[in-house]
Amino acid sequence: MTLYKRKSNSKLTFKARIRKEPYLIINIFFAGVILLIIAYSGIFSPEKNNYPVVCIHEKLTGQPCVSCGLSHSFSLIVRGRIDEAFKWNIYGLRVFLFFFSQLILRIAFSAFYIKYPDTRKQLIIIDCIGSGLIFLIAFWPFIARIFSGL
Amino acid sequence: MEEVRNNTGQNLGIAALITAIITFVLAVIPCVGLIAIIPGIIAIILASVGLSQASRNDSPKGVLIAGLIIGIIATMISFSQIFVAGKIAQHAGKWPGDIQNVINDVQDNVMKNLEDANVSIKVESNGDKVEITTSPKKEDMEHKLEDLEGGNKQKEDTLQKNDTLQKKK
Repeated sequence: MTLYKRKSNSKLTFKARIRKEPYLIINIFFAGVILLIIAYSGIFSPEKNNYPVVCIHEKLTGQPCVSCGLSHSFSLIVRGRIDEAFKWNIYGLRVFLFFFSQLILRIAFSAFYIKYPDTRKQLIIIDCIGSGLIFLIAFWPFIARIFSGL
Repeated sequence: MEEVRNNTGQNLGIAALITAIITFVLAVIPCVGLIAIIPGIIAIILASVGLSQASRNDSPKGVLIAGLIIGIIATMISFSQIFVAGKIAQHAGKWPGDIQNVINDVQDNVMKNLEDANVSIKVESNGDKVEITTSPKKEDMEHKLEDLEGGNKQKEDTLQKNDTLQKKK
């Protein structure tokens, strides 16, 4: 009985701790979103071509954009067909690696955040700078296109 | 005595920050960049409401300000996608017009060349030679048409025939 109470108490304190820490909530949420993206890539297959997301840019202009074929590319990467993924979108692997690295970073940073409470501020700063840099490297072709188009 | 922290608006701040970051990632991708305006505006609204609540209760504003700034930048990027799409559409509108002009020019040139051309057909069979020479010039064709019409004028028109028959009745 006492053991059960202790367990439930520890669960409660863990939940309460997470609720008090916005950083952990944000990490959990983003990890969930990335898992959903991977699941989306796994569920929809390139053979059936049944992707619900349609390129609005192509619909408006009639011209394919830089990110066209990204869903196909992700699906092929998830299935291990990387050569074919490059044919659909040359930046597909780059963007996929960004999401995958973020999934790992969210889990790792959350673990460090709980384990080492004294270094929390430094950890958040490193996370912001690191993730920002990875984002810039992965999405640079898309960002460059915005600047060249303006 | 332990200081009690007031967390009013913190939940709104977290929601705003998450929405703003997702908007930021979406806004950069051209395929879905235009849709990102909607979550961007939601993030700005959430952060603004949270900030007003936090300032009233004197609670921390770090997350709220981060959410507001990222939300504004993401919405601006999303808006810029409209201009990029507009520029590309403008170019795309020009290209078909140019192609149409080239096709029209080629068509006119071909028609002009055909008008001035002389066509001759030679047939040889068992030592007999037959040569037909024609020119599809407009003048010649008009003359031929006049000749043909002149020949037809002699024949009575069937419609006129019917009219005269009805009058007789």
